[in-house]
Amino acid sequence: MAELKTEEFVVNMGPHHPSTHGVCRFVLTMDGEVIVKVEPVIGYLHRALEKICENRTYAQCIPVLDRFEYCTSMSCNQVFALATEKLAGIEVPERAEYIRVIMLELNRIASHLIWLGTTSLDLGALTPFLYAFREREDIMDLFEMTCGQRLTYNYIRVGGVAKDIPKEFIPKAKQFLSTFDSKVDDYEKVLTENPIFMTRNQNIGVMSPELAIAYGVSGPNLRASGVKFDLRRDDPYSIYDRFKFNIPTGQNGDCYDRYRVRMQEMRESAKIVRQAIEQLPEGEISAKFNPIVFKAPAGELYSRIENSRGEMGVYLQSRDKEKKPLRVKLRGSSYNHLQAMPHLLKGHKIADVVAVMASLDIIMPDVDR
Amino acid sequence: MGIIKKVPVFLDKVPGGGIITTSLDTIFNYSQASSLWYLLFGTACCAIELMATGASRYDFDRLGMIFRASPRQSDLIIAAGTITKKMGPRLRLLYDQMAEPRYVIAMGGCTCGGGPFYYDSYAVEKGIDHIVPVDVYIPGCPPRPESLLEGCLNLQKKVKTQKIKDWS
Amino acid sequence: MNREELAKYLLDKFPDTLELLETGKAEPFFLMKKPDEIVEFCRAIRDDVELRMDFLCQMCGVDTGENFEVVYSVASVKKRYRFDFKFPLPYEGAEIESVQTVWPGANWFERETWELYGINVKNHGNLTRFLLPDDWDQGFPMRKDWDAPDFKRMPEV
Repeated sequence: MAELKTEEFVVNMGPHHPSTHGVCRFVLTMDGEVIVKVEPVIGYLHRALEKICENRTYAQCIPVLDRFEYCTSMSCNQVFALATEKLAGIEVPERAEYIRVIMLELNRIASHLIWLGTTSLDLGALTPFLYAFREREDIMDLFEMTCGQRLTYNYIRVGGVAKDIPKEFIPKAKQFLSTFDSKVDDYEKVLTENPIFMTRNQNIGVMSPELAIAYGVSGPNLRASGVKFDLRRDDPYSIYDRFKFNIPTGQNGDCYDRYRVRMQEMRESAKIVRQAIEQLPEGEISAKFNPIVFKAPAGELYSRIENSRGEMGVYLQSRDKEKKPLRVKLRGSSYNHLQAMPHLLKGHKIADVVAVMASLDIIMPDVDR
Repeated sequence: MGIIKKVPVFLDKVPGGGIITTSLDTIFNYSQASSLWYLLFGTACCAIELMATGASRYDFDRLGMIFRASPRQSDLIIAAGTITKKMGPRLRLLYDQMAEPRYVIAMGGCTCGGGPFYYDSYAVEKGIDHIVPVDVYIPGCPPRPESLLEGCLNLQKKVKTQKIKDWS
Repeated sequence: MNREELAKYLLDKFPDTLELLETGKAEPFFLMKKPDEIVEFCRAIRDDVELRMDFLCQMCGVDTGENFEVVYSVASVKKRYRFDFKFPLPYEGAEIESVQTVWPGANWFERETWELYGINVKNHGNLTRFLLPDDWDQGFPMRKDWDAPDFKRMPEV
């Protein structure tokens, strides 16, 4: 048989594609069905949040940063509030810290539920999407009862939180948590031992720990590669050192391990919320902070927290006695994950691009800001 | 569809033909409004609320709306999320690929007029109505699923005012 | 080591290169006095047995009104240390050396700094349009003196 002469060709995927988790464009160089090179093209959601923050007071920056990573809007509020509090030396009262932890962990569960729904939708399973969003509606009810919003909360403010939790919050949260673990078992029953899910995810997109650390990958993606690093344990902020929780890790660093790590993390977050509700003290919910006349002292710092996707950080620089920050640089975790993604896809097929992007839990506002 | 174009012109001249055209109007509009298939287009935060509206608590399917992945198979774009200057031409490209009759819902503050990014942002299109013609505006940041459902019902009301005379 | 010991260790190891700034409110914040030797310095802190700073958290540019500054935040995964350092650059002819041979993750950070501030990066290899539209011709938007016809600033209340 004569030698078949083949050439590489270029396929464009996106920016509008049902599985790009926002608007991301991939330029794939293919040799038949096998991928040779992936180049992500970003910037379709660049909204210039950093420039906006330079013209807003510190209290006004918080609702702007809500839109930075809307799936975990409480974390965005928290990281900026933490940075400003460290800069100005504001101390947050105990009750506010406990309420913050409850909200952050509930938001982490909600974000993992979005991840679960969209991942299974991308891989072709419609049922977990409906189940996950049903659970998420319960969490949205809790948030709405407290701060009035379902998605972009503007609740964790500099100095504490905006409002106290209403009296129906704790019973409803306890009711949600009592059934949550069995619901996570239900999701695992549908997906974990499923042969189609396992074939699409095992040994796909393997990330070694050295590659992960070199590219700045953090969060569940780093833990699935075997590195036991969680900022809540290793660089504790707020009051996370008072709670007992495990840190799940994986061995291989493939998509399947990343899935297992996140499912386990949902259970651990539920544990933290139970402990926080038990230990919740009475007291003030905010320090003395006047959002209109607050002037920060001169200083600069970089403060980071453990978001559901990884490490989220804010570099804040301020001049002396000014109402507005000089520079706010936002560090999103998906930025580094998307940078590392082309190295995970060498030799895979085009259908694996979808599986890898879904398992890395990349959302575009984190990348583009 | 050639017959449909000629029928209203013919029926207008016949005495009592108006009754048939209005009945045909009602039938076509009702069937169109009850089955608007929307394109899965979501860029930012409003996309999460769009997904939540399509999920189990606030169901889109009871209004006959399901999502399609390709613009050629859909007749509605719910533009959910901020449209930046880089994304604007792509939205126009998607709109051009849809077949008539096609509708656009601008969901959220960013698509209505820039939203929270009106001031101090160098890369955001302040509203999408200079890119594509918009039928229904839904304000909110993000709008609640009930608002989105109300916007879709308003669109259905708008569809039901169409006349087949206008197609010829 | 806690923060004071970390600062002392770094000042002892790099006496001519680093200077401790008092404005670092949390982790030690250093001023780097020799920007030309940035790559050697980064490699030294990554390979040092005591420090092992193998994780680049972020790298960004700042426009202070008088000059540019470039800030690096580094961390160690194994040892849980963290510190930051920065150095100033003049407005005219601002140039830095790429550190992607030390931390490959710096590639996109440097590309973004070039695109939004205009700070040139030597030996980068791919300084092309990134976040802004492909036909952008209005300059470097994150600079303090940038303006455009359709750019509206929020009015002071």
